[in-house]
This record gives sequence, structure tokens and C-alpha cells, in this order.
Amino acid sequence: MMTKEEQQQFFQEIIEQHKGILFKVARTYCLNEEDRQDLLQEIMIQIWQSIHKYNDQHKISTWLYRISLNVAISFYRKNATRAGKYTVLKTQIPEMQTEDKTENERQLNLLEQFISELKEIDKALMILYLEDKSHAEIAGILGMSVSNAGTKIGRIKDKLKTRFSQLKS
Amino acid sequence: MNELEIKQLWQSTNEKLEESFVINRKNTEDITRLKVQNFVSSIKPIKIFTILVGILWVGILGTVVVNLFIFSFSKISHLFLFSLAIQVVLTAIALTIYIYQLITIYQVDITEPILKTQEKIANLKTTTLWTAKIMFLQLPVWTTFWWNETMLTDWNFLQWSILSLYTGSFTFLALWLFFNIKYENRDKKWFKFIFNGKEWTPLMKSMELLEQVNEYKIGTIAGNRRG
Repeated sequence: MMTKEEQQQFFQEIIEQHKGILFKVARTYCLNEEDRQDLLQEIMIQIWQSIHKYNDQHKISTWLYRISLNVAISFYRKNATRAGKYTVLKTQIPEMQTEDKTENERQLNLLEQFISELKEIDKALMILYLEDKSHAEIAGILGMSVSNAGTKIGRIKDKLKTRFSQLKS
Repeated sequence: MNELEIKQLWQSTNEKLEESFVINRKNTEDITRLKVQNFVSSIKPIKIFTILVGILWVGILGTVVVNLFIFSFSKISHLFLFSLAIQVVLTAIALTIYIYQLITIYQVDITEPILKTQEKIANLKTTTLWTAKIMFLQLPVWTTFWWNETMLTDWNFLQWSILSLYTGSFTFLALWLFFNIKYENRDKKWFKFIFNGKEWTPLMKSMELLEQVNEYKIGTIAGNRRG
């Protein structure tokens, strides 16, 4: 069992080392900056509130993905009371420049458009797939069998392929 | 663009953006000063108010009903007494479901896998349907409160016909709603009509999410059977 100081230290470390997970989840689930800030704050609060439950049975990234995605899918609400109570985070999420779009940027826009149209749980699957997570880890985060994770990824890949081939044609 | 190129595009873009993504250390320190929430502090004041009003309502009316049954049973209209008793019992059931929901939602563990957590939350939210079902079940009782024994002797056929139609249609409607308000009917027009409005949005959203969870679970169950 960690002491309060150890928990604080551990929290600071995981947030710093794995901020990319939080960033990607917030970016995927919220289109506007204000919502992203709120979601990020909510995810960090929930990580802190759950820190005493962490054990090394799971990889830290698996644990963080579970919390971040659960918060993003369901817990996230615009909560005026909380926003007024606690310090508003001053995290800066940079935006891509939209001028002089290159082919890459056009394709990135298409990818983001595709992700934004997905349902909540499909979005979670999509992030994990794009992050190159193994089927076993995806299954562990989502809570499904490895074979089912493979099937679902296959389906989402097909949809993605169709979307990109439409662009080509 | 192939699979690998798409992944590279996603990863390289995020890497670039993440480089300039800064989390202020002071902000994370502020979060660590937050106390771990207990059950009472996690409930919004309006919900606590609703529960208190509900308990007060059931408590006062319950006491009145019990006293009437014990001390004045022979003196007052039995139809009134039974209508009141049914109303109190149904409200108490609805209140119990509401409190159960609040406690169980607080106990949901967000560190568990997504499908498990989301299913729990969505299922809990859809138990709100039970509260609605029970509240609708009270409909006929509101039409029988004022009944009394003199109606049996003084009323004519026409009066009885109108009353039967009135109470009968409320009873039919209440029973029909009780048996038909369910997840499976969420797409029906009448269902959407009843559950239309901001306060029902989380419920409708939960049902939609439950549908997504079920789609994922179907694959897992089939996979387990094959395995």
C-alpha cells in the first residue's frame, strides 16, 4: 500500500510519462478545445481518485487506457460545479496548421473525419488499433476475447480501407 | 494508402502534437490535493433533495396509512385507504430503485475493462425505466381516491358506465405502459414521445451504448463457444 506522498509522486510520474494516452483520447473524443480541456481534467481527476486501486497485475498503459476511455465514453459531463471548484487546467493542445494542406494533411483530415463518425466503443478500438496495440492488449483494455478483438479490428480496418479507396477514386 | 501508412500518419502526427502538449505540474499537484470522493459528496445536491422529499413523502403518508388501518379502518372509505396504500407502496418502490441506482453507480469501477464498466453503467441508467414504469402504475389509483360506498347504492347505470370507462382506460394505459416500457421498444414512436426531453437524454444515450456493448459481446460469446 502506497503512502499519500508515494501516491502523489506516482501520479505525477504517470501523467508526465503517459500524457500521450490522455492527449490522444481527449483529441479523439472531443472536437473543440474547451471540451478537451474539461475531459482532460476529468480523466486526470479520475486517475487520481483511482490511484489506490492500481496494482502491477496490468501494464500501466492498459490501466490508463481503461480509465481514460471509460471517462471519455461515459463519465465525461460538463460539470459547472466542479469546474468552479477546482483549478482549471492550463494544458495546451496544439492544432495542426490548416493552411497549405499537403497530401498528408488531407489524408489526416480524412482519417480524423472517419474516426469522428465512429460510435463511442468503435472509437476506442480505433485508437488502440492505430497505436499498434497487440490484439491481446486491446482485448484486455476493452474486456473481450482475443479472437473477438481480432474480428472487430478486421471489420474496422475494412471500413477504413473502403473510405480511403473512395478518396483515391 | 495502406494500413501501415495510415498508422504511421496517425502516430507521427500525434508525436508532433504531443511534443508541444504540456501539462502544468502545478495543476497535477492541485489534483492530488483533492480528497478521494465518498458516496455523499459524489451526489449532486438536487438528488439528495429528491431523496429527502421522497423519504418525507413516503414516511408521512406511510404513517398516516398505517394509523388509519389500525385506528380508523371501520370509519373511513376502504377504497380511499387502499388507493392511498397502493400509492405509498409504489412510491416507496420507486424511491428504493432510485437510491439503489445512486449507490451502485458510485460503486462502478472505472479501472475495469471498457465493455464491463460501460455495460454496468448503461444497465444502471436503464433501470430508470423501472422508476417510470412504477410511477405510471399509479395512474388508476389517482382515479379511485374519491370513491365511496354510497356510489354502490346511489349511482345509476350511466354514471357507472362513465366511471368504468374513466378508471378502466387509466388502468389499461397503466398496465400497457408497465409491460411495454422496455429497452426493446426504445425505437418505437410512443416510447420516444414519452422519453423525449433533456432529462431523458442520458437514458436514451445509455440504451444506445448498451446496444454497442451487446454488439461487441455477441462476438465474444461466439468466440468463447468456438474456443
